[in-house]
Amino acid sequence: MSDTEFSAEEIDFEVDAEDLPDAPASQTPLGAPSVIVDDLHVSYRVFGSRGRPARGAAQPSRVQRLITKARGMDPTAGVTEVKAVRGVSFVARHGESIGIVGTNGSGKSTLLRALAGLIPPAAGTVYVSGTPSLLGVNAVLMKQLTGERNIMIGGLALGLSVKEVTERFDEIVDFAGIGDFVYLPMKAYSAGMSARLRFAISTAATPDILMIDEALATGDAAFRQKSRERIDEIRQQAGTIFLVSHSLASVKAMCNRVIWLDKGQIRMDGDVETVARAYRRFTRSGGADD
Amino acid sequence: MSLTPARTGDAFATDAEVLAESARAARELGLHQMGVRPTLRTYIVETWRRRQFVHSLAISKAYAENQNNYLGQLWAVLNPALNAIVYVIIFGFILKADRGLENTVAFIVVGTFIYRFFSDSVTAGAKSITGNLNLVRSLHFPRAVLPLSAVLSLLASLLPALAVMLAFIVASGYFPNSEPVPITARWLLLVPAVGVTYVFSTGIAFMTARAVANVPDLMNTIPFITRMLMYASGVLFPIGHYVSNPVLTGILDYQPVAVVLNLARQAVTDEPNIPLDPVMWAVGAGWAILALVIGFVVFWRAEARYGRE
Repeated sequence: MSDTEFSAEEIDFEVDAEDLPDAPASQTPLGAPSVIVDDLHVSYRVFGSRGRPARGAAQPSRVQRLITKARGMDPTAGVTEVKAVRGVSFVARHGESIGIVGTNGSGKSTLLRALAGLIPPAAGTVYVSGTPSLLGVNAVLMKQLTGERNIMIGGLALGLSVKEVTERFDEIVDFAGIGDFVYLPMKAYSAGMSARLRFAISTAATPDILMIDEALATGDAAFRQKSRERIDEIRQQAGTIFLVSHSLASVKAMCNRVIWLDKGQIRMDGDVETVARAYRRFTRSGGADD
Repeated sequence: MSLTPARTGDAFATDAEVLAESARAARELGLHQMGVRPTLRTYIVETWRRRQFVHSLAISKAYAENQNNYLGQLWAVLNPALNAIVYVIIFGFILKADRGLENTVAFIVVGTFIYRFFSDSVTAGAKSITGNLNLVRSLHFPRAVLPLSAVLSLLASLLPALAVMLAFIVASGYFPNSEPVPITARWLLLVPAVGVTYVFSTGIAFMTARAVANVPDLMNTIPFITRMLMYASGVLFPIGHYVSNPVLTGILDYQPVAVVLNLARQAVTDEPNIPLDPVMWAVGAGWAILALVIGFVVFWRAEARYGRE
């Protein structure tokens, strides 16, 4: 993996210092467990090429290739099993806001998807209260449809009724700040607009558990401020927040606990200051101290 | 089970206590397990609760389908009409594959409109998971919603197309060598005939949805299967006239696709060879229910696995 990708200068690029308060997220007394993750392993399938050796490297002979093909092991048409999460255990509580940090490919997004019930575990168990809502990097639900229809579809998928979605429609559009764009297909939206609309839809129903996967990175300062307030509100209503972000500043501002994932395992789990300091030291050293 | 606290509130105060007995902790705290298949009963209830979602998704899709054209929604009607015209010209007028028919045009038009709905349903069902991965990967809802809405969306487009189909049938009476088709109360039977076709298609869509979600390669075989079924089901010509073996004729007449086509033709064509036949209706309803039940159960069994890449 390339070191330059996580150089220290880049870590905080998305947040202006004056956006966010220095103090960590407000302390609220923790409630009962809302998420239990017990020795979770997740692996997923990747279809397609595992790649051939580059030119110059030793190529398998024609005969060898025929044999692998005949045995159904054609390397260009195969399925690769990737072990993304390997034995993660933790307990999250009502009112807790947990940041998940780690380098690219450390299993953060996969962990969130497994918590949301979107990928079944290969082993281990996940227990949650209520219906989790995942706000992913790809914020568009159906890009050929208008924002208006996406609001309806997203709301109904979250379990709201048509009446409830209609009641909250103005509030959602207001929060997203997209104005008349709501009547245009979402393929016409900028990345920030899509992210804002999706955030507004996902939080319209006040989820028990809200998981945000880098989805705030594309928003501007004003939107980050609004989303921070909304997250605090959800937390005060005993919701649990998970936030995956490359920005330690975002994590510091919005979370009161940080889990550091490394190669699919928990490397550190604790209060924001301690973990953030250790993680920063790790990335400054180029992530090569293991 | 050594922990026997006085109050449940104190039972799992620390994370270590919770993890030591996670299953019991989850039960007592009212948490449910993620990534596991719900019971069939729960699944049916959950799917039923999302019926507005199915409806909204179907309508949106039917609408989005044709919004990138100048003629827009008109294509929902023009497409099956052009399709029917092509087959009428080739099989009705050029090849004259009309043995024993009084009105070949009406026969072919009903066949192509109804069969097209079925084959489109099979294809849309097959793509319903793989084509909606954004939705599947970001929101948690019973995945049965997707094939259900895919077929419902096609039904929404079929209804205006049926008006065009009936117009074709009336017009066909003015063609040379075609007996006019009288408009009678029997045409009302088209409603249950389409209903049976819809239920049957939904069942098959569930099966193809699961098959293609698990093994994407199967998507490549679907066009061949639908093509094969088209010629084996007498969409364009009365297949009974080309097959003499009685066993084979029986299979070809009572296989589900042939039955649903027969039902629609009983309703709106006036062929002496296709009389009103209660047995056919019973067989059709049986096939439809069987397909729906088997399809739903087959789909449900893989519920926890959809959306894995």
